[in-house]
This record gives sequence, structure tokens and C-alpha cells, in this order.
Amino acid sequence: MDDTFVELLRPRLKFAADRPIAADTGLREWGLDSMQAIELLFDIEDAYGVTLPEDELTDRTFATAGSLWNAVSRGARAVGPAA
Amino acid sequence: MSTAVAPARPVDAAGLRRLVDRVAAAAEPHVARTDREAAFPVEALAELRSTGLLGLLVPTPYGGLGGTLPDLLAAAERLGRTDLSVAMIFAMHCQQVAAVVRYADEPLRSDLLRRVGDGAYLASVTTEAGKGGHLLSAEAALRADGGALVLDRFAPIVTGGRYADGFLVTMRSPHDPADSAVSLVFAGRDQVDVTESGDWQPLGMRASHSVALRLAGRVPAHQVVGPHGAFREISVSVFAPLAHLGWAACWLGTACGALSRVLRLLRSPAGRARTDLGSELLLSRLSRARQRVDTVHALLRHAATVVEPGGDLSGPRTQLLLNGLKITAAEQCLAAVEDLVDAVGLRHGYLRDSPTRLELALRDLRSAALNYHNDRLHLADGRLALLDPEVHLA
Repeated sequence: MDDTFVELLRPRLKFAADRPIAADTGLREWGLDSMQAIELLFDIEDAYGVTLPEDELTDRTFATAGSLWNAVSRGARAVGPAA
Repeated sequence: MSTAVAPARPVDAAGLRRLVDRVAAAAEPHVARTDREAAFPVEALAELRSTGLLGLLVPTPYGGLGGTLPDLLAAAERLGRTDLSVAMIFAMHCQQVAAVVRYADEPLRSDLLRRVGDGAYLASVTTEAGKGGHLLSAEAALRADGGALVLDRFAPIVTGGRYADGFLVTMRSPHDPADSAVSLVFAGRDQVDVTESGDWQPLGMRASHSVALRLAGRVPAHQVVGPHGAFREISVSVFAPLAHLGWAACWLGTACGALSRVLRLLRSPAGRARTDLGSELLLSRLSRARQRVDTVHALLRHAATVVEPGGDLSGPRTQLLLNGLKITAAEQCLAAVEDLVDAVGLRHGYLRDSPTRLELALRDLRSAALNYHNDRLHLADGRLALLDPEVHLA
């Protein structure tokens, strides 16, 4: 996970406080609700130019910071490196 | 000489139909009274127990009927034709059982499934004051105390709570502060103090006897269904799909029952003498009612084929389909009965003693949009729609 991703996540996790966000951080447990998840996806789209495909938008993808990052990384590889 | 016991086989369609007809026959003579008195249909519950239908979804090795999701939907639809309260009591019990089948660990799983196979009735305790019907959050928390879980839980609406042999209760996990970390725990009636409060005097669904209950007591720690905090997963994979499918089947049954009774009345010699069956207005209204139930039936069947393989149901297209089924069934089944009220008029559309029972169907079905409110589902669906700009269809 890069720093940008962690900084996008933090304001969406209402129970995060100052705790470090790691790959195994549970997003729902840390307070990500459905509306925040949409806002987070928009943030990711703006920052990385990646739109996650519909069949990736499952509870499994949104389980942890790491699982979401993996989906974003796959999307970024599919799009190719930014010019 | 030993007696060979044939291995139990899952119930077949004809056998299921016979069992369900027995329950419908047991319910029928009491429909008007249970509605009038807002009384639980104890005669139908007794027949649900004695036919083994409460164990419809329990696998045969545990003494159940080994039925499938289509079996559940067929039974719920058939019961809904006679009495929507009976159908909903049955469907919601089966929803609890499905969660136990899929998520409970041993020894709870075997113990509970054998009890249900023997005719135990499970009630669902998911409502909570102050959370506005949010299924996936909980205010009251379980407390871990040695090898026990301590629960003290008030629920404003528990269908059939007075008659249940046990309860599946959602409460906040004892190990997590987030109100979204919800655990599902089983409490037997003999394990908790059950206090009933308030009166049940609703517009419709009067025989569902959905009173307020407070449950307080201690249960062994192993009575949590699945891991602590797992209710979200249980809900997405079992509870919510079976609620939407099961409710839709019940509502569809009630609309079909109403349509059937109206058509029998119109086709009877007295009906033909009284009514101009060539009336274009009447024919159009009958057509519209029939179209609505066929639409709900098609959507229900399709949604069941998407759910039954048991894959990941959490993606937007599947969630949208299931929510859309619930919203559509709630709206269209009520609208079909409204069409019928207009079709037959005041005497048979509005009076309580008409054999069409449209007045009862209308009051019962008015609850459908409110039972996990359609407004809430539309909000969820709006969010889900935003996630899928390409508009994939399930």
C-alpha cells in the first residue's frame, strides 16, 4: 500500500483515530459504511485513474485495506503506468 | 428379526404439496378469527410442527425434510394464498434455519437442527429501538463472562415471540466497539427470561402477533452462530436473500389467492348472472392484476436461480436484483389487490365478510413496503447504481 492510498482511507474510517492503517485493517470494523465506500472509490478513481470493475465490488474486496489495495493495483496494471 | 429403516430421502414436490395443503387446511377455518382477534395462528403452527415443515430446510440426517430454496418458495407461496401471517411466520422461521445450516458450528449445529427437525419454532430478533430497522447494526452488546455470553436485549417487534422455542438474536459482538460488528446468537426459551410488553393492534398482519420482547439471560459461549461479528456475512449470504425471496413468495401467494377467489366468484353461476363478464373495464382490471402477479413470479424465479448456487451475492448487480425483487413484489402484489377491489366494487372488494377476502389481503399487503422499508432499499439501490456505471444485469 502506498502513502496516498492510506491517506485516502483514513478520513473514511471513523474508528481509525491515530492508529496505523495496515494491510490487515478491517475496513467495516474500522467504520467504512456504504456511502463512505462510494466516496472512497471516487477518491481512488481521481488519484489513480482506476475504475474498479463491478464484479470486483464485493464484500471480499472491501474486507481489509490490503484486499482493496490489491484490487486497485490490479486495476492500475490493467490501465498501464501513468504517462 | 430386525426392522430395516429406509434412509430418509428429501421431500419431493408432490409430498411437499400434500404437507403444505394440510397446513393451509388447518389455517383456513381460523383466518377470520385470528385476524379479528390479532391472535397467533396456533392451529397452523401445530400443523407446521406435526407435518415436519418447520424442518423443511433441515438436512435429512438431522430429521428434517431436506428441502431446497425452490421448495421453501413454493410452500411460502401456497401458504400465502390462505393466510399471509402464517406464510410469513413459516418463511421467517426457515430463514433462521438456513442460517443455522450454513453457519452454526458443532455442537450447536447438530443440536439445533435436530430440535428444529423435531418441530421447534425459531423466532428472529433483529429489530432494535433506535436503529430504524438497520439490519446490519446493533446497539445492545453481548458480554463475555467466562464460558458464557450474557445478553439483555429489547426488541420492539418479534413475530411469534410468545410461541417460539428459541430465538436467533443479533447483538453487538463482545469483542468489538463498532456497531457494525454484529454477532448472531441462539437463545433457547428455557435459557432466558422472556418478557412481553405492549399490545399488538396493527392494520394488517394481525395474526403474526409481532409483539415487543425483552430477552435476558446467559447462554453458553458456543451458542454464537458463526464467528463473533460475522452477522454481516450471514446476512449477505443467507438472511437478506432469504428474507427478500421468502417475503416475495408470501406476498405473491396472497395476491394469487385474492385473484383466484375473485375469478371463482365471477365465474360462479351467481357471479355470471350478476356481472357482465364482457365489460372491458372489468377485463382490463383482471388483466392488470394477472400481469402484476406474473411479473413478480418471473422476477422471483429468476432471483432464486441467481441465489441458489450459493456464490458471492455481495456484488452490486446481485444486491440490486434482490432489493428490486423485494420492492417490486411489495408494490405489485398490493397493486394487484387494489385492481381487484376496483374490479369487483364495494360489496366484494371492501366488505370484511366477502368470500374474496380482498379487504384482509389489502390490509396485510399494505405492510409489505414497510417490512424493511422500500425507501431504505431505494437508498441502498441508488448507492449501488452509482457503483456500476456500465449497468451490469444479474
